[in-house]
Parts: sequence; structure tokens; C-alpha cells
Amino acid sequence: MSDMKGYIGFACAYTPLPIIYAAGYTPYRVLPMGDSPDQAGHILHDNLCPHIKRILDRAMGNDLPDLAGIVFMNSCDAMRRLADAWHHIRPDEYSIFLDLPATADELSISFFTGEISKLAVALSKWRGRNISATEIEYGILLYNQIADFMNELTEKIYKGKANIHRAVLQELFNRSVTGSPITFIEDARKILSENRPNKTVNEGVPVFLFGHLLPDPEAFMLFESCGAKIILDDLCTGSRFFYPVAADGKKGLVKSLAESLLLRPPCARTIDSTMPGKIGKILISKARESGARGAIAHVVKFCDPYLSRLPSIREEFRKAGIPLLVLEGDCTLRSIGQQQTRIEAFIEMLRQ
Amino acid sequence: MMLQYFKDLESGIATKIKENPDSPNARKKYALEVARLGARLYSGENSVAWCGITAPFDLLSAMGVTSCFVEFVGAMLASTGTIGTFLDHAEHSGYASDICGYHRSVLGSAKQGLMPVPDFLIATSCPCTGGLAVMENLAGMFKKDLFVLHIPQDESGKSIKYLADQIRQMTGFVSAHTGSKIDEEAFRSAIENTNSARELMKEVFELATHVPSPTNGHDLSNFGIVMALLLGTEAAIEISKAYRDEFAARNREMKPGMPGEKHRLMWIQNRIQFRNPLDALLREQYKANIVVDELNSITWEPVDPDDPYTGLARRAISIPFNGNIRRRVNHLQKLALYYRIDGAINPCHRGCRQGAGARGLINEGLKEIGIPVLNLEVDVVDPRDFAEGQLSTRIEAFIEMLEARA
Ligand code: SF4
Ligand code: SF4
Repeated sequence: MSDMKGYIGFACAYTPLPIIYAAGYTPYRVLPMGDSPDQAGHILHDNLCPHIKRILDRAMGNDLPDLAGIVFMNSCDAMRRLADAWHHIRPDEYSIFLDLPATADELSISFFTGEISKLAVALSKWRGRNISATEIEYGILLYNQIADFMNELTEKIYKGKANIHRAVLQELFNRSVTGSPITFIEDARKILSENRPNKTVNEGVPVFLFGHLLPDPEAFMLFESCGAKIILDDLCTGSRFFYPVAADGKKGLVKSLAESLLLRPPCARTIDSTMPGKIGKILISKARESGARGAIAHVVKFCDPYLSRLPSIREEFRKAGIPLLVLEGDCTLRSIGQQQTRIEAFIEMLRQ
Repeated sequence: MMLQYFKDLESGIATKIKENPDSPNARKKYALEVARLGARLYSGENSVAWCGITAPFDLLSAMGVTSCFVEFVGAMLASTGTIGTFLDHAEHSGYASDICGYHRSVLGSAKQGLMPVPDFLIATSCPCTGGLAVMENLAGMFKKDLFVLHIPQDESGKSIKYLADQIRQMTGFVSAHTGSKIDEEAFRSAIENTNSARELMKEVFELATHVPSPTNGHDLSNFGIVMALLLGTEAAIEISKAYRDEFAARNREMKPGMPGEKHRLMWIQNRIQFRNPLDALLREQYKANIVVDELNSITWEPVDPDDPYTGLARRAISIPFNGNIRRRVNHLQKLALYYRIDGAINPCHRGCRQGAGARGLINEGLKEIGIPVLNLEVDVVDPRDFAEGQLSTRIEAFIEMLEARA
């Protein structure tokens, strides 16, 4: 069964996908991939993160499916500028910008609930019909299923219980955010039901990988070719993306959605004011739990949220005695490839 | 080091004002208050809060807290010529050299133990993500409590209420740290002072639109942004009055700030904070007068003393760096027309994603009303790789272009 509907683009892991689906659209994550020529710097500035510039390059190079509209989240300054630039180059396309609090206290959750409702109203207008509560509930259930599936598969892969390469998981992830969720779930069921004993033994050194985004499946092949075995990740194009929503009818579906998005494991832009530097502590506990011998951080150049927190993250790793390799990249395989020797040397060091 | 600097500055300026009480002294009064604020921050005698740029400083001052945005430290270090070592230190500590120089210098200074330890911190999500991150870092370094104000992007009723509620909560947070509740009378009087200063500042800005302008291109540099720190105090009123009277007299007596003013310019976002020859080049060689800075304008209505939280929320949301670029461009266009400028200079401060990231769209926006923009690529607080020759050439070419258009 296919449920292909018009696409609504999005660019941030905090986007409330179930609402987009409930409105009769397919969420399409504009991933920073492809070979579109570099043009974004002219409209924005070259000192903006390559995540944003790549997305704009794709729009300028028409390397996107037809979009019925796009949803931007106020995740950082670069995202705000992207929303402006998008509107500039595609003035006739529907677009909406949702504010996204940096904290997850009661006031923020209630404000963010309002922002999601604003999205529901906009999408209803674009679509020409109202969204019902049943549709929202269905959207939540559907994306919860995808989350469950991805989380189960991720765990199986990382624990060596499925003979599936991490690169394949990345391909699946990319599909889950760019295509029909129903078709994806049907395929996913098949994959999960297949009994795939772990025939190929990866002799690589166990490594924890974190950062913001790394959507290129080949990047994982490259890590493996350097002798690493990724056994856990904390990436917004990976295990941090899918978190099931505890849909609470009494609380209200939209509020449940807002709460679960704001309370999901934080990325660098999110602050817990009661625990400054929380992200470093979370990363350490993940690295420890995973049993990794070391960690690799993949950080996108010019990303203020991440770069500003990196020294304290490094410090946490130093204190915990977990070796850390930081790779600064531009979302392309080429930029990671250029650091192959460093990765190999790091893995070699971990091996000893 | 900084305490001594501010104390010396304070006594030096105070002496100058005393020696010549009748000569124009608005800028001196302004500098005196800046020095006093610096001395209060670094004296170790006051309850201190490091804040984000859009914090409600009048409310904090009514609560007996000496508060300041951290970027002030970066600007001061740049103006004293000492910033290089702090930037170096931050970079050696792992902070990327392409994050905003204001923030890098503050982090370097804190790492070296040269920032006063605050009693608490108040971060604001506007104007920039970098600002929020630096506050989280500082809270971790100082091991002090942090309160985050999320400044919404639009001025809808829902957004204003959200921010007003947060400011109310912030008041409780501050009380918990100072040990005393807000004194409603003191708060009301601070708001009244804010409104009086606002009226006077509006007059100052209006007077500055005069052709030729009563400002000399330097009189009002950093004025709008720094005055936010003094709002709620008598000093803000006194400074604004001094400017108002001085500018009114210059207009009346036809004694412009820059005799022979030839080109009228707008400066976008931040001025270059360290000593540099470009100011003199513009002023002396080309008679190009920076008659308006982007932040030298009043974008908010008077704050209702009976409903102050709403007014403070509206004010924070109203700054031009907030919201989408169209809003900012409208603001710039309005200023451009109001001040009858010939061109604009955008330093495109390296490391500022919110500001430099808007470079292309600001260009386009000002082009819509026929205003050319000179985009410089410069770090406004980092003198270490200041490309003087290259920048002078670009300015020269820009001025030539303006002359050809005239
Ligand atoms: S969080 Fe970082 S990587 Fe993501 S859009 Fe913002 S600046 Fe770019
Ligand atoms: S210059 Fe930009 S990044 Fe730096 S403090 Fe100002 S708004 Fe923030």
C-alpha cells in the first residue's frame, strides 16, 4: 500500500512530523547531501554551517522533489538565516518558521504546544482542510512505530545481533525521513523479521560516535575501513532522532508531542539550566554504557551550538579517561575522507 | 587589572568634566557611566549578574543587582588593546577561532580568572545562539545558577505573554539569590526612569537626522546598545538630556558634528571596537559621517508601570536582530530614509551567524531603496588580523562610487 502524498520539507530533528503527516503530507527531510554547486554563501555568508549551506544549495540547484511547503525550526541562528534565504529564493512556496525554546520547563512546553498548533493551522490552510484529533493520534502512532523499529534495529546492529552494516541502517534512516512512512514500516517489518545471524565478525575497535549529523551511509564504511566498529551513536541523523511520543489524551495530543520533543535527549542547542554542560555528561554516560574504547565527535564547521560546547565536552572525556577524536567536517564524505589518516591513527592508538 | 582601568577611567573623565563643566560633555558623561558600571562589576562589592544582551537591566537594577551583558567585556578588552591575549587563551583552550570574538574573549578572560564571579547568570536567546552557549559555558565555569530567557521571534500576544511570564519567574529566581523580594516602588520608579530616558533618546535620535547631522560619527557609537544597561537609572536620563541639549544647540547654532559633512552613512550592527584608522579615514579624508547606527533607535513603546512585565517583554522582542530578516530590513530601510543616508557599511563581523549570515539579504533589502552597502569582512573585536590596507582600499572605492552617484 502506498500513501505517497505531497512532500513537506523540514531540516531539523525537532520538527513535529506527526502533525505534517496528519495534515495529509509526507515529511521530507532535506538532508545536506548531493552535488549541487556551492551558491548559498552568496546569499548567506561563507561562515555559516555547511548543513545550512548544503540545504540551500540543494534548493538553488533544484535538487529536491516538489515540495508543497517547508517547515523551519528556530534551532539556531543559522537555521533562522536559512529560513530567510529560502523565502527569498522560493517566495511563492509555503513556508513556516516555528519557534523552539532552548529549555524544557513548563512555560516552554506550553509555548511550544502553541507553536505546534500554529503549524497545524498553517498546514490545514495549505491543504484546504482541517486536521482532526484522530489524524494527529494516527500520525503519532505511526511515527512511534518507526521510532520503535529504528531503535530496535539500531540496538540489534550495535549489539551485533543483526548482520546488517551500519551504513545500511543509515540508508534506512534516510529513507524513513524522506519517504512514505507506511511503505517504510512495511519494509521495516520485513527486515526485522528476517533472521540475520551475525556471520561477518567485525574485528574493529568499539567506538562511540557523536555529533550533529552524518547522513552519508558511506561515512560509516569509511570508519570501518579505518578499523573502527561504531557501537553506539548520538547523532541527529541517527539514534537521537526517533523518540516515541507518550500520547496522553488527557494532557492533549499536541502538548504530549511538544513535551516529548523538548524532553528528548538534547542536542548541543538545548539547555538544561539546572545542569549547565549537561550534554557532556550525557555523552560520557552513553560512551561508558556502550563499552566503547574511545569516542569520535563529528562536528560541523561553524556550528556555534556545538563548537562552543566542545571544550567542556572534551574536558568531560578527559576526566572520564575516554580517548576522544574530534573531526571537523562539512557534511561531505570528502571532508571525512581527508581525515582518514587521523582516524586510522586514533583507532591504532585505541587498539594498543 | 580591569578594576584599576575602570577606576582610572572614571576619575580621569570626572576630572575633565569638572575642569570644563560648560563645554560639550554628553559623550564624557556617557563614558563616565560606562566606567562606573565597569568599576561596580569588577569591585567585588556588589551583587553581580552576567547576562545576555536582551535581559531587562532596569528590572535587575531595581532589584539591587549590578548586571551587564557579557559582550560588554569583549568590547572593553578590545578598546583597551588587551583583547589579543584573551582571544589567544580561548583558542588554546579549544574554542574555535571562528566563533564570535566577543564570546571568545569573554571565555578567555573567564578561563584566566579575570572575569568577576557573578552571583548568578541570566542568558537570553536573542540576539544569538552563540550568546546562549557562552552563558551556559560561564555558568559551568563559575558553578553558578543560570536562568534562561527564551525571547520569542514574533510579537504575537502569545509570545509576549510567554516572555512576560518568564521575566516574572526570573524575578523569583533573582529574589532567591539576593535574599530580598522585589521592591514594587523601586521597580515602578525604575520603569518611570526608563520611560523618561526613552523619550529623551528618541529626541536625540530625531535631532541626529538633521542635515548636516549634529553627530560627528563617533558621538553615538555603541550608544543604543550600551544605554540598555543604564535604563532604569537617573544616569540614563542625565546622559540622554546632555546629548539632547548638545545636539539641539548644534542644530540651532548650525555647528554640525562634522563640518563639511559630505556623505551620510549608516553603520550596520557592531562598530569596530578597537582603535583603528578607518574612523579617521572616513571622517577626515572623506568627510563621510556615520549619522546612524542600526541599534540607535527606539523600537519599543513606553513600558506601562502598571503592567511592566508585558512592556519589558515587548521591548526585548522588538530589537531588530530578532525575528525574520524582512523585519530587520524594514527597520534598516526606515532608518536609511529617515536619516537620508547615501550608503551603509556592514562590517559582517566574522563569527556572527545571525548578523553576517544576513549579509546578502540586507544588501538586497537596501538595494530596493537605492542604498549601496559596503560589506567589510572584519572581526570587530579582534585586531590580530586586521587588514588595514585592504579595508582602506575598499572604503576608498566605496566613497568614490558614492561620489560618482552624487
Ligand atoms: S545546530 Fe549547528 S549544524 Fe545544526 S543548523 Fe545550527 S549551526 Fe548548523
Ligand atoms: S556579534 Fe553576533 S554572535 Fe556576537 S554577540 Fe553580537 S549578535 Fe551575538
